[in-house]
Amino acid sequence: MRSTQDVVYGGGAEPGHYSDPPLLVLASLAAGPKHGHAMIEDIAAMCGTRLGPGTLYGAIARLEQQGWIEPLPAEERRRPYRITTNGLRVLRAKLTTLQQFAQAGLGRLGDQEAQ
Amino acid sequence: MSPVLARLLTRLYPRRWRERYGDEYEVLLETSPSDPLTLANVICSGIGERIFPTKGGAVEQASRTFRSLLGQPSAFVPLAMSVTALAMLLCDLAIYGVAHELAQTDEGTVAHLWQILMAGQLPIVAFFAIKWLPRAPKQAIAVVALQVAAVLASMAPVYFLGL
Repeated sequence: MRSTQDVVYGGGAEPGHYSDPPLLVLASLAAGPKHGHAMIEDIAAMCGTRLGPGTLYGAIARLEQQGWIEPLPAEERRRPYRITTNGLRVLRAKLTTLQQFAQAGLGRLGDQEAQ
Repeated sequence: MSPVLARLLTRLYPRRWRERYGDEYEVLLETSPSDPLTLANVICSGIGERIFPTKGGAVEQASRTFRSLLGQPSAFVPLAMSVTALAMLLCDLAIYGVAHELAQTDEGTVAHLWQILMAGQLPIVAFFAIKWLPRAPKQAIAVVALQVAAVLASMAPVYFLGL
C-alpha cells in the first residue's frame, strides 16, 4: 500500500499532492544524508506529502537495490542514507523532465487564461 | 507507537527483509503515530513485501530450487489432492468395474469426493501462482505445470471412460 497524507495548510491554499516516493526520497537526500524519520519530515516540509513508514522503506529498499542511494554506518539504531552519483544523475534527469512538463502545462494554462 | 507494537508490525515483513531493515524500521515505527492510516500503511506494505519481495541489492533472496518450491504446502497439497482423486477413482473402478459405474443413476460418493478434490485445489493453485511466480518464475512454472499434469491425469479416466 502506498500511503501518503497531505499536510494540512491553512486557508485552503494547499500546494497540491505529489506522490512519487522514490523521487521524493532522492530529492530529500540531495540535501544531505538523512535517516527515515528525518526524510519523512523533510519531504513533508518540501512538498506537503507525508510518506507512511511502509511506503518510505519500500522506496528506500528499491532505491538501494538500484544503487541510487547507499546506507551509512548506523547511529545507534537509526541508519542514515545518502544519494549516490548515479542517484544524483537520475534525480537530475527526472526533475528536468518534470520541469519541462510543468512549463508546458503552465504555458497551456496561461494560454487558456489569456483567451 | 509503542515498541511492542512496532516489533509486531515489523514481523509482518519477510525474515530476509527484517535482517536488513528490521532494526531501523522498528525505530522509525516507534517515532510514528499509531493512527489507522499509518497502521494500514505498515500492514499492507509488510504483506506486499511478502508477495512481491525486494530482489537483489541489500535483500538477497535465497536461491529457490524446484525441490524447495515443491516443499511448499501450496505446491504439494494440490498434487496430493489430484493423486487422491485419481486413486479413489481407480479403486472404485477396480472394485465395481466400468459397467457398474455407467449403470448407476446417481454419481455416487466417490464422484462427489472427486469433484470436491478437483475444485478445492483451484484456489490453492492460484495462491501458489500469485505468491511464487514473481519470486522464482522458472521453478514456479515447473511446479504449476506439474499440478496441471496431475489434474489432467486425474481427469483422464473420467474423459476416456465417459464416466
